[in-house]
Amino acid sequence: MSSNYRNFRNSVPWLIFFLEAVFILLFCFLYSDDGVSGSNISYPAFQDVSHMVIFGLGFFLAFLKRYKFSSTGFNLLLIVLGVQWSVLMEGLLFFLFQNEKEDDLKSITKATVSMTTVVISSAAVLGKANPIQLIVMTIVEIAAFHLSRWINKMYLKIGDSVGMMHVHLFGAYFGLAVSPFFSEPSPNSEKNASTPESDLLSMLGTLFLWVFWPSFNSVLAVEEEKNTIIYNTYFALAVSAVTAFALSVLTTKDGKLRMKHIHSATLAGGVTVGYAAHSIWYPSIAMILGLLASVITVLGSHHLQRCLNSVLKIHDASGVHFTFGLPGVLGAIAHVILFVVKNWTDLQSQRYLIMTEIGTFCLTISVALISGFITGCILNLKLLKTIPVSKYCEDQFYWEFPHLAVGF
Amino acid sequence: MPSALDTNMRFKFSALALLLEVIIIVLFGLFVEYDSNNVSQNTIYPFFQDVHVMIFVGFGFLMTFLKKYGFSSVGINMLIAALGLQWGTLMQGFWHMKGGKISVDIKSMINADFSTATALISFGAVLGKTSPVQMLILTILEITIFACNEHLVTEILQATDVGASMTIHAFGAYFGLAVALVLYRPGLKNKHENEESTYHSDIFAMIGTLFLWLFWPSFNSAIAHDQDSRTKAIVNTYYSLAACTVVTFALSSLVDQRGKFSMVLIQNATLAGGVAVGTCADMSIYPFAAMCIGSIAGIISVLGFKFLTPFMASKLNIQDTCGVHNLHGLPGILGGIAGIIVTAVRKEIRATARFTPDMQAAALGSTIAIALAGGILTGGILKLPFLGQASDQNCFDDSVYWEVPEEEKLYEIHSNNHDEHSRFEATM
Repeated sequence: MSSNYRNFRNSVPWLIFFLEAVFILLFCFLYSDDGVSGSNISYPAFQDVSHMVIFGLGFFLAFLKRYKFSSTGFNLLLIVLGVQWSVLMEGLLFFLFQNEKEDDLKSITKATVSMTTVVISSAAVLGKANPIQLIVMTIVEIAAFHLSRWINKMYLKIGDSVGMMHVHLFGAYFGLAVSPFFSEPSPNSEKNASTPESDLLSMLGTLFLWVFWPSFNSVLAVEEEKNTIIYNTYFALAVSAVTAFALSVLTTKDGKLRMKHIHSATLAGGVTVGYAAHSIWYPSIAMILGLLASVITVLGSHHLQRCLNSVLKIHDASGVHFTFGLPGVLGAIAHVILFVVKNWTDLQSQRYLIMTEIGTFCLTISVALISGFITGCILNLKLLKTIPVSKYCEDQFYWEFPHLAVGF
Repeated sequence: MPSALDTNMRFKFSALALLLEVIIIVLFGLFVEYDSNNVSQNTIYPFFQDVHVMIFVGFGFLMTFLKKYGFSSVGINMLIAALGLQWGTLMQGFWHMKGGKISVDIKSMINADFSTATALISFGAVLGKTSPVQMLILTILEITIFACNEHLVTEILQATDVGASMTIHAFGAYFGLAVALVLYRPGLKNKHENEESTYHSDIFAMIGTLFLWLFWPSFNSAIAHDQDSRTKAIVNTYYSLAACTVVTFALSSLVDQRGKFSMVLIQNATLAGGVAVGTCADMSIYPFAAMCIGSIAGIISVLGFKFLTPFMASKLNIQDTCGVHNLHGLPGILGGIAGIIVTAVRKEIRATARFTPDMQAAALGSTIAIALAGGILTGGILKLPFLGQASDQNCFDDSVYWEVPEEEKLYEIHSNNHDEHSRFEATM
């Protein structure tokens, strides 16, 4: 075997076993009373969210032609680890600050939603990080995300359900901050491409995400706002999907559709509107937001990415900046504008609230960037067995291939 | 060609399938009516949907891992499920008749879906080695026996099995293994060239795995007794699955020489946690105990795949294609044992009955005994030589029973836009 061959047998299993043992022990201490009672999260809505995060995002990322096992498999591993860790973090915060105790289903739902951050960040380094790095990233990122949420809640008095919708922003900017620490694969590497077959699998994931997005945005909201959020999300998604098709034809040279545009731009509307959905009072506003989100995503991935990436040395493997980051920012700005418009008559007295709104999303982005930068430094340690550029986007490096002779 | 290997089933299959359907329609006409006096049914409709997706999409795609057997896996799976749920409605209904009529509601639809799961699990054990005609017969016989065993367990022994670890998973697995034992094919002793997966077929199987994984909490809680125990079942199953998945990844890397993950294990062993927690899912066992059960299930499932399945194939003459013994059989027994322990330690009461460890043990024992006996009997019937079985070298091949479109050659697949890449691939 060549010198840069890494054997994970002595590290990955023990790290995972250790984490799981710690989780089981902590669960034993933290959840000793029978706190099960009626839940205010409806179970079907939780199912939808869980389905989106595990199935939808897992297959959404399966567009690299030799990285499909890892895209779906590692996604499952990270989520099950992260959900347990996230539930424990919540439980710990409860112990320290005596918040209101939540029922089990709600804590799992919140944990699943917060795991979106990790999935988005791992998408930014898709194909470049090994399982150890991904697990470490999960642990750090979930802790950082809960910290940022907790600051928002404690000092800026932001509601829990709104704070939870920062997941896209946080995940995207955390991932972008981590990505410069991984060297860029050579541009003409054939592994870094998709095939019609892998694009189709990615479409499978996209469709599930699209269908369940209204549940994602509404699952943690208070009961009265749920319907508004569902309608708004639905209309925004519909518009962004239509716009994606139109713009894709418009921007490609020979007037054909490009699958990558369809994948990301159809979802941008859901990201954008997630932040402000409860405060949108006409469907038309949601539709405009969906349109803008789609424009940003398609044009961004078309023009901006090239210059931005070369300047900042970011290699954004799956375009998370344009699928999740910028639409998230757009949503946050829209939220502030809507708030200003709503309180136009007594703007003076509401100034403080407006500043808080702006403060929250700036805070989320800065916590994400800083913690992402630190995580990136940690991930580059030799201890974590960083993989060489030649092994990027390669399933064979992590998975058994008994069928290698059959061609793949 | 001898008649035993005549795989043209144009008349046999269509005659048998139509005959069964006519019988079922007549029986439905005679016995089945709506249950109109139950109003709270809409709350469990989402659970029915989830179970339905698991049966048709989850089980179907889970079995698509064989490189030339995808059509049969998904297609025959659909056939078995569609036939089985009609027959299951009748069989389970006959045990609960009121005034000579079977009343159907959402709950009996869920139960009918459950009964098809047993046949689908057994299908996994004999996957690739049976004809559609044989599968029709197996479905009918197995669901009949299953309904009797379920009645014995829940009504006569008064045992609890909310997620059906014993009555469905252990039953289906051991039934299937007994059938596989009787239908043993010495000609397949050396691995058949088609009995393996490709990169693409494995990723399709992953679709099935994820659907099963995601909807397992619904499966274990669908027939729970009230809202409170339903929530408990959901939470316990979720944590058990989570712990099982994590442990499976760890062990998968550990048992491989080079520390790599194995897709077979990730596809199957990650689900063992859901099976194992089934029996005691609705009891107050706390997430902690559920995670312990899930971890143990993951361990025995991985070890089973690694050591037990090759041993059974070579020494015990049981060729278990999908490894159902490790995914459903062993974790099902573990679930039964967990049920015994939990009822021994805690006092669990539902409605009128108190669950006792003796009855749980009796339920586990009777399930496995009936499954094995029924499986051997069924296997004997399926061995009849005129059921359209394929010859040994035609096993694991769709083209025996399906019209398969002409396969493109490897270098032509991506020829449109990745010419140089695909040529590189072809030479690899």
